Amino acid sequence: MMLGRTYRSPMVGLGVLFGVTLVGLLVLPFVALAVSTPVADLRAGAEHPLFAPALWLSLRTTLMSLSITVVLGTPLAWWLASSRSRTARVTEVLVDLPIVIPPAVVGVALLETFGRRGLAGPLLESFGVSVPFTGGAVVLAQVVVSSPFFVQAAANAFRKVEPDMLIVARTLGASPVVAFVRVALPIARPGLLVGASLAWARALGEFGATLLFAGNMPGRTQTMPLAIFSALESDVRLAVVFSLVLAAVGVVLLVAIRFAPMLRRSPARGAS
Amino acid sequence: MAAHNLRWYPGVVLLVVLAGGCTGTSAREEKVTLSVFAASSLTDVMPELAETFERAHPDVDLRVTFAGSQVLRLQIEQGASVDVYASANDAHMNALEDSGHVLRSHTLASTDLVIIVPPDNPAGIERFDQLTQAERIVVGTRFVPIGAYTDAVLNNASVVLGDDFAAGVRDRIASMESNVRLVRAKVELGEADAAFVYRTDALNRDRVRVVPIPDEVNVEARFRIALTSETRRGPEAERLLDFLASPPAREIFRAHGFTGAG
Repeated sequence: MMLGRTYRSPMVGLGVLFGVTLVGLLVLPFVALAVSTPVADLRAGAEHPLFAPALWLSLRTTLMSLSITVVLGTPLAWWLASSRSRTARVTEVLVDLPIVIPPAVVGVALLETFGRRGLAGPLLESFGVSVPFTGGAVVLAQVVVSSPFFVQAAANAFRKVEPDMLIVARTLGASPVVAFVRVALPIARPGLLVGASLAWARALGEFGATLLFAGNMPGRTQTMPLAIFSALESDVRLAVVFSLVLAAVGVVLLVAIRFAPMLRRSPARGAS
Repeated sequence: MAAHNLRWYPGVVLLVVLAGGCTGTSAREEKVTLSVFAASSLTDVMPELAETFERAHPDVDLRVTFAGSQVLRLQIEQGASVDVYASANDAHMNALEDSGHVLRSHTLASTDLVIIVPPDNPAGIERFDQLTQAERIVVGTRFVPIGAYTDAVLNNASVVLGDDFAAGVRDRIASMESNVRLVRAKVELGEADAAFVYRTDALNRDRVRVVPIPDEVNVEARFRIALTSETRRGPEAERLLDFLASPPAREIFRAHGFTGAG
């Protein structure tokens, strides 16, 4: 083992110390969250009038935004993975923009786009469509901040599909669409699932852009993160309970992301 | 090879740690820093007050934090180290008095509420009773003082103008913001047709137009200020509170549209 080499050991010791410090910093808050919540509080939180509408709205909007992301993002990811053109490389960078831009900025930018005085707002309004402060705004904000995670993961997954296999499928009489669905999709499936889970988690946690673009209205635009923010202003215990629920959902998602691809690896190979 | 590249690493870490530690000690000054938590609606008047105070008391440095009164109250309850707290209503101040977080408080200033609309007034609201013409109205959450006052105004309105009117206004609420400046911003962006804010928030703003609220419906918004019980700068904080009740400070409050003396 590395530890046996004496000249390196102080460094290794320091590294372990740093690593443990960071892991502690990452995990400790969630442990604190879990142990600081009495069971009685949990029940009171779940029965609070803000809780059920916010959870329901979060589930509805995130499933909607995830569907939009997968439908619009899959063809894009396939193109990004298979094209060698400069346009594809530029597009790839553009798609990553919302990852590096703070959500609050995304919220302001969405208002400048779809707001009444925004670029596309007046045009939409002439059709009788008004996006800000609606459930549609919640979904739109989620799509913008979360879809890059899916597209990125999906493109990487599609890059593992060997072009030769598609060519073989085509020579055996499969149309391009059939070749994509029967060959490329099954091979890329673990990566697609990881991308979809990451995008869903990001949409579920979306706060800044939603607050600015969709506002904060219980039952209409108040998702779980916004409910936590609002609860914090009236009752800290309530905010803790809400937070615990979201953290639990996150943990479940993380476990699913880590272990689902392992379970599915063999059937995916078999399908090709 | 990896070990080779890593050889400089502990040295760099040490440097970073040392550099981080230095800023704390080198900036040592004789000045006393007073930390002040103030309601969002004091955002414009406070800097001028602070400047005047600091000119008269060069040994004191004011650090003012603005947020919704309920957010500041929460932070004080959670142990924020702050010397002076200014709330936009009685409720939050009373709660902190009851829980022993503030020593004593008094009225700082008062104002009342108005409706603001965008300059082009898309919903054509010229009078308070036309408020139901708005498609989107923005208010504060009921936890932030402006939201609680708005609720009181709407309760009065349902007595004076009828339940249907008040219910109609509530139906058109599109968003509940956590402080009054966020409420105002929604009208300044043109996203809301109307919003409830303090009169003082609408003063001298070219991006909003004021629609008055009739006296029989309006409420008085009272700002209160207190010394926190955790303060270790008692004498300096007392001097600040004395200054805020002095004629020069009253003059600044009046210039910003506040009424009522401390």
